[in-house]
Order: sequence, then C-alpha cells, then structure tokens
Amino acid sequence: MDFITTLFPWLTNGSLIMIQVMSGLSVGMFLFLVSVGMSLIFGVTRVVNLAHGALYMVGAYLLVSLVEFLPDRWWGFWLALLLAPLGVALLGGAIEVALLRRVYHRDPLMQLILTFGLILVIGTLVLLVWGPDNKSVQRPELLDGSVMLFGQFFPSYYLLVLVLAPLIAIGMWFVFYRTRWGMLIRAATVDREMLGALGVNVAALYTQVFMFGSWLAGFGGALAAPTVAVALGMDSDVLTNAFVVVVVGGLGSFAGSFIAALLVGLLQSFGILIFPSISIVLLFLVMAIVLIVRPWGLLGRPEEH
Amino acid sequence: MTRPVLLVTVAVLILAPLALPPFYLQLLTQIAIAGLFATAFNLLMGFGGMVSFGHAAYFALGAYAPALLVKQAGWPMLLALPAAPLAASIGALVFGIFIVRLTATYFAMLSLAFGQIVFTIIFKWKSLTGGDDGILNIWPPDWLKSPAAYYYFTVALVALALLALHMIVESPFGSALKAVRENPRRARYIGIDVRRHQLMAFVISGFFSGLAGGLFAFYNGSVFPDFAFFTKSFEPLVVALLGGVGSFFGPLVGAFGYTLLEWLISRQWPVYWPLFLGGAVIAVIILLPNGFIGILEGRRWTRLARKD
Repeated sequence: MDFITTLFPWLTNGSLIMIQVMSGLSVGMFLFLVSVGMSLIFGVTRVVNLAHGALYMVGAYLLVSLVEFLPDRWWGFWLALLLAPLGVALLGGAIEVALLRRVYHRDPLMQLILTFGLILVIGTLVLLVWGPDNKSVQRPELLDGSVMLFGQFFPSYYLLVLVLAPLIAIGMWFVFYRTRWGMLIRAATVDREMLGALGVNVAALYTQVFMFGSWLAGFGGALAAPTVAVALGMDSDVLTNAFVVVVVGGLGSFAGSFIAALLVGLLQSFGILIFPSISIVLLFLVMAIVLIVRPWGLLGRPEEH
Repeated sequence: MTRPVLLVTVAVLILAPLALPPFYLQLLTQIAIAGLFATAFNLLMGFGGMVSFGHAAYFALGAYAPALLVKQAGWPMLLALPAAPLAASIGALVFGIFIVRLTATYFAMLSLAFGQIVFTIIFKWKSLTGGDDGILNIWPPDWLKSPAAYYYFTVALVALALLALHMIVESPFGSALKAVRENPRRARYIGIDVRRHQLMAFVISGFFSGLAGGLFAFYNGSVFPDFAFFTKSFEPLVVALLGGVGSFFGPLVGAFGYTLLEWLISRQWPVYWPLFLGGAVIAVIILLPNGFIGILEGRRWTRLARKD
C-alpha cells in the first residue's frame, strides 16, 4: 500500500480526486454533445459523418466572430452561444441537401470518402475566412472566475457545461421517447423503408436529423470556444475523441454515447494523473478492449449488411 | 502493362536523368514513392475489398523507424532503411488483428482510429520523436545524395517492390484474396481462411507502405508527425481512385497525375490545395457515380451476401 501511495500521492488526497472527477465529467460532457450528434446521424442515415469535427470547429469560430460582432454587453456572449450553433445547423442542412442526400443509396465507403473530402473543404474554408492565427474568446463575466469546490479551485465556466449538457441529454431523451418526431427517428433507425412505405417523408426527416446533429456539434464547439485556443487543428482532436466515444458506446446508441463520453472524460482526467505522457494511449486501449469483446460497442447493435 | 510499354517505360526512366534538370528528377522520385504507397494501399482496396482510412500510420512508421535509428542510434542510412518496412509491417500486424475482424464501415473507422493513435503517439512523445518539430537532417550518404542518384535508388527499389506486389497479386494467395473480396462466405466454404488472408494482405500492404515512408524520409531529409495525420491517409485513396482501383498499375498512373497536379496547384496557391483535393473527390463521387469508382460499387451485391 505504501508503494502505491508513494507512486500516486494524489490517492490520499480526496479533494483532488473529487476535482479530477468534476473536470473529467465536464470533458465528458463536451464529448457527449459532439458524439451524440455523430451517433444520431449514423443511427438514422447510416452515414458516419467524419466532418462532424469540422462542424464543431465551425461552431467555435462562429462564436468567436459573433462575440466580436455583437455589442460588448453581458448578453453578447449568450446570444452568440445561441446563434453560432444555429449557423452550424444551417450549414449542416445545406451539406445534407446538396451532397449527402445523393449518396445514401451508395456504397457506405463512398459516403465515408465524401465526408472525408468535406473535412478538407471545410478546413480550408475556415482558414480562408478566419485566417491562420489562433483565436480566443473571453468567458462571460459571470463565469470568468473560479469557485471553491472540495477545497480546490474549479473554473466556474465548467459548471455551465456540467449543467447544460445533462439538460440537453434530458431534453433529447424527452424528444426521442415522448414526441412524435422522436418516435419517427427511432422508427427510422430500425427500418427506414417501412417508415417511408407508411407515408412518412423520410428525406425531410434525414435533413432534420442531420441539422440537429450539426446543431449539437456546433453547440459543443461554441461552448468549448472559451476554454481552448480556437485553432485549425481542433476538428481532428475532437473527431478522434468523439470517435472513441462513438465506437465504445456503440454507433447509433443515445445512452451509449452518454456513458462512453463520461467514461472517456474520466479516463482522460485520471489518465493524466497516472500516466501523464501516455494518457491518450490508455483511451485507445479501452477502445481496443471494447472492440475485441463487443465490436459493435457497449450499447450498440451488431453490424448488419 | 504490355511488354513494349514496359520496355519503353524502363528506358525512359533510365535515361531521364540525362535529359531532365534535377528538379524534375525530384518530382519523379516523389511520383515513384506516391505510386508505391498507393499500389500498396490498393492491394487492400482493389484486390482485397478493404478500405483503410488510416494508412498514413504505416507510411509514418516506415518514415520514423529509420529516422530514429539514424538520429538516435547513429546507424547509417542503408542499414536503417530496412527498418522501415519492418516497423510498418509489425504495426500493420498488431492493428490489423483488430481491424480485419470488422467489415466495411467499421473496418474503415477502426483503421482511421488506429491511424490517429499513431499520429498522437508521434505528436506527443516529444522526447523520442521531437513531437511537432519532427526529426531533421536525416540524409542518405554523400554518394546517394544527388537528385539523380537518389532518383535511381528510389526508382529501382520501387520497381522491385512493384514487381513483388504484382507477383503477390498474381499468386494463388492473390486469387484467394480476390475470392474473399468477391464473396467472403463462398470463399470460406471452399476452405479459404478469410481473416487470415485479409490480415496477410493488410501486413503486406503495411510493409510496402512503410517502404514508401522510409524512402520518402530520406528524400525529404526530415520526418514530421504530419506523415501520420489522417489527411495523409486520404492521399493513397485519392490516388488509387484517380488512377483506377481495378487495375494493378492504375494507382501508379494516378500517382503521376496527382503529384503533378499537387505540384502545379500548390506552387501557385498552396492554401487551396486541400480545398481542391476535397472538392475534386466530392465532385467525382457525386457526378461520376459509375465512373472509375464504379468498380468499387460493383461489389455491392457481394456485400448483401455477407449477411451471416
């Protein structure tokens, strides 16, 4: 036991552990927002949207521009946080109508290649519009400081994420299981053709789902903007993590995304304590183990052809 | 390729340094490397029916392994270069064991994820790989340093590699691989171990991707984490699509077009190259559904047969 506590002195520090849990949970919440959108889009359209990270990046950049553009008042940030994801949703809608709609019936690999191409296009467009320099945005005044939690300082902005993301999760659960639209979405994940045969406008449903997924990515990006340097590489970072979440949780599974996002968030924050330099490897190790035991993820369904 | 075409190509390649200025020899060297990378990739896509989205990992392993041996252990280049295909095929074996368990979309996604792991490790492990700064100043020995000498060296090695790949494709193993691509279930019923064949193809593909990476490392004189980045994985895919997935030499032709295009465009507008590349790929997929990628789509009926 002595050996372990010498190796990991933080183990005896209960408040540090609690803070790590909190920060792990907030990282997990960001990841949930992004990955649940990716998972939802896959569940309905069967397209793995590799450009999801790019949409997240656009959300962050849009927030930066909107905060600069809007009057410098206390509500400026909040209005920007509302508008930026809507902009991303519109972009997602345009992508779905103009491009993705044409490849649903094609080989899944063609769809992957298409969204791969979108990463390059969106990345370059972001570079052209916003330039190569990193951007940053002030946290809103209300949440700029830290709060004392368990005798440690904890950035109060993260509390916002810890509140908002579960609210969105609950809202999504409500929409999925208590509204007609949610029922249609669940039906579409099970049998699209039958749904279409029953007279539902499946094409419109796809567009709506893609826009909603894009909104989630944009919201995640906008929310993350004040906590990171808004930079060109941020799309691939988040894509990698969202990928792990979606694969571990199971493609198309709502609850799977939530659980896996929290797991990944906690793994990251404790991984940094235990193996500082290889915490990321730990993450992929977990993914590899999940894939060996359950290739379709913790809560996903086995692959169909 | 018919015999006369082959002979003319060989003659042109041998005589090129007499006629071309060094710059064009470097371009040809690049084309040869890109062609090898894409042909190795196409062993999976065209002949095995497996699309990897993380092949940059094996290219990068092939680039970093000899670079590290030269830089950290002080090995000479010619001794270090064999480490390139070796390291890459070990990587391909370790990752491949997991990747070939899955099919189609899941296969592509897991290969992409493993590619990102390699990228992250290279990027984060600063003490070994130099992280973002890469490993600089790894050059071939003096007698091999000139553009013409390195051109001959690369073209000869690439030609040998292509010959080996061609023999593999034409061998019983190659035929079995094609059978697996066409109809995995039927292949299994006639006694072919589907997973083992896929894994072997994956390792062979990794081996030659690694050789391409190693050759590129000494051509470039330095290696960077970008080599493992997912945009690099896109390259052999586009090259193979451009040149034709169905034929053995298609990717080689694609590499020629791709490298020339990249040079022309990024010389003028470096920023626009990814935009052009992404846009071109999207346009091809949307506008030419039955074009040269029709070969891939033609396999769709076989996918239905995989329902087991």
